[in-house]
This record gives sequence, C-alpha cells and structure tokens, in this order.
Amino acid sequence: MKMLRKLTLTAAAVMAVGWTAAAWAQSAAERAVNEAKKYSGTTITIVWEAGLQSLDPLHFSGPKWKELTGIDVKVVEVATAEMFTKIMQDYRSGAAAYDALNVIPAWMPDLANAGALEVLDPYVDKYGYRDELQKIAPTYRDNQMKVGDKIFGFPDDGDVFLMYYRKDVFEDAANKDAFKAKYGYDLAAPKTWKEFDDIGQFLTDKNQPNMYGAGFFRQPPYAMYMFQERFRNEGGKFFDAESMKATINSDVGVKVFTDMRNENKFMPPGVEQWGFVENLAAFLQGQTAMTISWPPYGRWAEGYGTDQEALNWVPKTQIAGKVGYALPPGGHPELAAGFALSVSSTSKNKDAAYLFIQWLNSEDISLQRVQLPYTLRDPFRTSHYTSPEYLSRWPNAKDYLGALKAGSETGLLDLSLLQTDKYEEVLRQSISKLWGGDDPKAILDQAASDWDAITDKIGVDKQKAVYQTWAAKSGAYPQ
Amino acid sequence: MAHTSTIAAGGAALAFPGHPPDRHFKWWIIAPAIFLLLFIGLFPLIYSLGVSFQHRTMLEDDKSFAGFLNYAQLFRDARLWQSLLHTAVITAIALPIELVLGMLMAQLFLERLPGRQVFVSLLVMPTVISPIVAGATWRLLFDNRYGPINQIIGWFAGKPVAALWTVKPDLVYPAIILCEIWQWTPFMFLILLAALSNVDKSLTEAAEIDGAGYWRIFVKIVLPAIWPVMAIALLIRGLDLVRIFDIIWALTQGGPGTMTETISIYTYVQGFQQFEVSYTAAVAFLVILMLTVIVTWAIRRMGLAK
Repeated sequence: MKMLRKLTLTAAAVMAVGWTAAAWAQSAAERAVNEAKKYSGTTITIVWEAGLQSLDPLHFSGPKWKELTGIDVKVVEVATAEMFTKIMQDYRSGAAAYDALNVIPAWMPDLANAGALEVLDPYVDKYGYRDELQKIAPTYRDNQMKVGDKIFGFPDDGDVFLMYYRKDVFEDAANKDAFKAKYGYDLAAPKTWKEFDDIGQFLTDKNQPNMYGAGFFRQPPYAMYMFQERFRNEGGKFFDAESMKATINSDVGVKVFTDMRNENKFMPPGVEQWGFVENLAAFLQGQTAMTISWPPYGRWAEGYGTDQEALNWVPKTQIAGKVGYALPPGGHPELAAGFALSVSSTSKNKDAAYLFIQWLNSEDISLQRVQLPYTLRDPFRTSHYTSPEYLSRWPNAKDYLGALKAGSETGLLDLSLLQTDKYEEVLRQSISKLWGGDDPKAILDQAASDWDAITDKIGVDKQKAVYQTWAAKSGAYPQ
Repeated sequence: MAHTSTIAAGGAALAFPGHPPDRHFKWWIIAPAIFLLLFIGLFPLIYSLGVSFQHRTMLEDDKSFAGFLNYAQLFRDARLWQSLLHTAVITAIALPIELVLGMLMAQLFLERLPGRQVFVSLLVMPTVISPIVAGATWRLLFDNRYGPINQIIGWFAGKPVAALWTVKPDLVYPAIILCEIWQWTPFMFLILLAALSNVDKSLTEAAEIDGAGYWRIFVKIVLPAIWPVMAIALLIRGLDLVRIFDIIWALTQGGPGTMTETISIYTYVQGFQQFEVSYTAAVAFLVILMLTVIVTWAIRRMGLAK
C-alpha cells in the first residue's frame, strides 16, 4: 500500500513537472493566448495613437486576438498630443474606460507617479514573460520600461532618428571630385555637423533649385527632438546635476541654435514650416539629398508597402534603390518619442489587458507587426534586426536594419522628468522664436529661466532625484 | 365642471373649488427649470471657484486649500497679461475692420442688384465653416510651397515670394487678422443688411428733398436707426474675438514663442497641456470678472439696456 502511494505520488510529480515544462516550453505569445482563453467573451479597450498606428489593432492584431482567444479589442484612437491628457483624465475621473494603453516612454514617470499605470512585474512572472522581455534591444529594454525598479510598460516601438541620404548623388564621380577639391576630404555620409554643413552647402550650390543639400522637418514639435539630440551630441547637458539649474543656454546650446538656423539657408525656402509630410515629400521626390527622420522614411523611400490603400497619401518614391542609411552626425541618434504598452491601473480586466499586450509585444507577434508597412511600428527587438523575412523585404533592407540596430545601440533618450511636457513646451516655443528671427542667446537664456521656474515649482530636490536617475541611464548622454 | 380650475388674473394663484388659491403655485411650475439651470450653470461656476482656491493639478493628488495663492500668482504671470494684450490687439484691429467692411458690403447689397440673393448666400458661406477648418485652410493658403497667396503676390512683385506667414513675427498678425476678417465680416454684413433694410425710407427721402447730403443722412438718420442692432452685432463679435482660439491655433499655435497667444489659448495650455487645474480656474475667474465689467460698461455706454 505504501509502495503504491509512493508510486502514485511520483507519477503525479512527474506529470506535474511535465505539464509545467510543456507550459513553459510554449512561446510567450502562445502562453498569452492559452491563458487569455479564460476571458473569452470579454472586451478590452486599448488607447492607440490615431491614424496609421491604429491600423495595427484595427486590421491586424485586434481581429487576430479575437480569433485566437474570443476577446474583443476596442480601439480608442487618440491624437498623440491628446493621449497623455486622455489617460490622465480617465484615471482621475475613475471612469476606467481604458484597459490597456500606449504610452510615450518620456511620460512614464508622470503617469506612474500619479498611479495611472499598473505595475507589471507580478504579471510578467505569472505569465512567464521575463525571458522574452530580455530580448528587447538593450537601449529600449533598459531605459524605456521601468520607473524606479518596477516595470510599467513594454517598449514596443523602436523609434530612432536616422539619416537618409542619396547614395547616387554621394557616389557620383563628378560630385566626389569637386567636393574633395573644395573641402579636402571625401564626400560621404556626414559624421559631424561641420561635415553636414559642408556637404549641404556644396550640393545646394551645385543643384538648386532642382535639389537642395538637405531638408529637415522644422516645425517645433519635431525640431525640439532634433535639438535635444544635437545638443547632447555636441557635449551639452540639460541641467547642472547638483544645483538643478538649467544649462541649455550654455555655449553649446547657443552654437547648436545658431547652426540650426544657419543651415536653413541651404535647405529649400520655407523649410521652417515643414512637418513630417512636407519633409517626406521633398525627400521622396528627390528634392533634398539628405534628411533625418523616423524609420518609416527609409521603408517608404524604397517603396515598401506604399502601394497599399492606407499609404496612398505617401508620394510615389522616385529614389528607390538610391537611398543610403546612416546615423545622424554625432553618432548618437534621438530615440524620439516611441511607444510602450501598459495596463491602466483602473482597468477592470487587468489580466486580459496584460495578456493582450504580452502577446502583442512577444517575439513572434511583434516581428509580424513591425513588418506591417502601414502602422509606423519600428523594429525594437534584437531578433527584428536579423530576421531573414525582414531582410528580404527589399534589396538593401540589410543596410536599413543595420542602421536601426546601430541607432538602438547608441541612441539618446528623450528628456524624461516630472512634468516633462512643460520643459518640452519651452523648447517648442524657443524653436518657433528661433525661426522667427530672435537672438539664439536671448532665446536660450529665457528658456533656461523658464526651466528653472518650472523646476522650482515642482520642487528642486524632487526633480533633482528624478533627473539624476534619468541621467544615470545608458541612453541619457553619449557614453 | 366638477374640477374646474382657473388661473387667477395675475397668474399668481390656482383656485380649486372649495380650496383657497395656492399663492406659490407659479414658483412650483418654474422650479424644475430653475433647478436645472442652476445645476448646469451655477454649480460648475461655484465648483470652479472652490477649485481655484486649492492646489489641484491633474498630476498630483494634492487638494489642499491654497488661499489666494493662485490669484496672487495671476499678478506675477507675465505670460497671462501678454496673452490678454494680444487678445486686445486682435480685437481692436479686427472688430472695426469687420464693422466697416460689413457696412460697405451691406450698403452695396441694399440696392436691388441682379443675382443679389445668390451673392448674399455666397458671401455668408465663410461663417458656416468651423473656425478650426477655416484656420487650417488658411494655413494651406499661406503655405510657402503649395499656397497660392505667395504665388499671387509673386505675380505682382514680378519675382518668387517666399513669405513665411505663420513663422515670421512681422507676418503672423496680418495672417491671423486676414483669416478672421474673411470668416466673420459676412456675419457683420448680414446683420447690418437686415438693419439697413428696415430703416424708414420716408425719413431718408424727406431729408434728401430738404437737401441733406449722403453722409449727413447716414450720420443723422441711418446710424441712429440701426444703432441698437449694430451695437448687438459689435457686442457679439467683440465677445467672439475675446475668446478667439481655433483660427490662431490652426495657424500659429500661439507662436512664434507666445507672440500670438491669446487668453483662450493660454487658458487651454494651462488647463489641458500643463494640467494646472486650480490656476486655470483662477485665470477663468479673472477673465469672467474682466468681461463682466467690460460688457456691463459697454451695454450702458451703447444704451442697450434701454
């Protein structure tokens, strides 16, 4: 009898271990699907950026999740500028209208401190996601996931600024000879802003008005990110780490502002008004030889997916096969904006919401999502950069993914403090003054004074602690 | 009739046979409406007043009493007073231009012209467009690359013009005021046309026979006749201009810097971008107070109360 009991217990233990092993042998996506079937028939609501981004859950991941688990996904489309407000309003009002959220990582300290985001660590352990989470590219994983030592979101969009340039123009023998004769070095993708200025001026002098040396988006919300990147690449620091006094009005800041305005002179007239679309159109139509932007430019310049209805507004590319990819001058690109997936702390379906974001963010599903040409989601996992499927998407996709990988390794985080948007608003206003013609030094002195006033209001010590934590991250300043 | 009921002559009391009239019945009748109005009008106002004396922001849980801190802050906030100044400048420029242009157009269309109805309908079209759409459309018109305005100026100038209407400090106000005038002059025109159409023709004809000139007739007869309507139109448009938001937001978002930031834009930024809930409530009460004083003065000055 004793022997029988022993045998039975052993068999049960072996079976339990076997089942557990089988369960853990599943991928994170499969595990999420199996666990989520318990919640079949429910509906989860997710906040997603309006426009192309939301076509992912509307056309791809939402219907697929419903098919696999029986859970409906309701997508609330919100303009980027309104997303933070809507999330906070939902939290403060206690309406609990949202279950899962798309969050720009720079907002995470504010949202987490307010209590609007659910701590994800218990769910990560419960649903066995920790291993796959580690395979997110290090810059995003180490910098865009936690506040303090707690996980509040899964980095889900490898936003990074890349330089796109016209390989055919740069490799043209006549251009190369003339450039070398004038400047004494080879014409190649610029590694410094001085080289960028030389090349830009040279190509504009030679080709305008048909083609200009460069074109950038200059509207303040975009140029604000470009300033943050360039300022740090040239050695600038946002604050004195001890006193928390703003130092954007340092000599570096003034030089960057002055150079940015001077560079407009070799860019197409009216570049100060350019946003994402104007800059894209000019580059794709061959009117500019260099630009810096988010990853979709690189895909669309090659014509990838632009035959789809959702992208019929994208100008037909005239430069497919002629595009080179490089890191912006300085070598440390801005990881501008990006998105992380989070769960709302007021959600009534937290497990179902969590399982949906684990599934979205998993190795298997995220690889499919970042290849959707219309959704603006960019590679963010180490495996995305080496995916044979992605590498075969167009002839020089290897160069594109290589540049994205390099960017993810050296990229710089957006400034992320308490009430970040107040600091960013000052930068946006400063840039609009810069294009308006004000003196760079005077603009930045005022900006530094405004930043100090914001810091004082929040509390110097409180903000200093947050800044020091941010500044200690690998992507805060060039290493 | 067994249950005859009558409303007393003054409407004050309801009389049932065998019962004394209820003196308070009229109040019971209007009570629900008054309660509803107070609930949706007065309650938010009182609630906001309470909030303006707290430390509330949307980012923190602090709801403690702040006393007059937010109101004291109003006087130190240079950006607030600049935004009020910008609002006053736009109002002071746009309102007279809209009035004069509206009056000229109304005078023109007072005569029975062929196709008058069609032209009037077309002229009124801008007022039915949402201001944010009007602003976005004008932004495209002012666009440096694709907008026709620079091209048209270029034809006259004989060379390409690359004016940055929504970027350069010397051009942003003309751009805003042009857009504002385009959209709202037809409103003034329509009101004044209606007013002018109702001026007693026998008076103007008698004055003409007596030898009075056009200007004298206009000042002495027409203007006093249309003044009540004109004053209302000025008041409505003036208040609209004080709360101008959409057109400027679409054109410049208050820039460059805060150069075209009006009080509505400033309030929006404080409340919905910077989440300064209590301070925004204090700003709102400052604006309410200022508008109450100005409107009361204007109504007295214009004789509208009569």
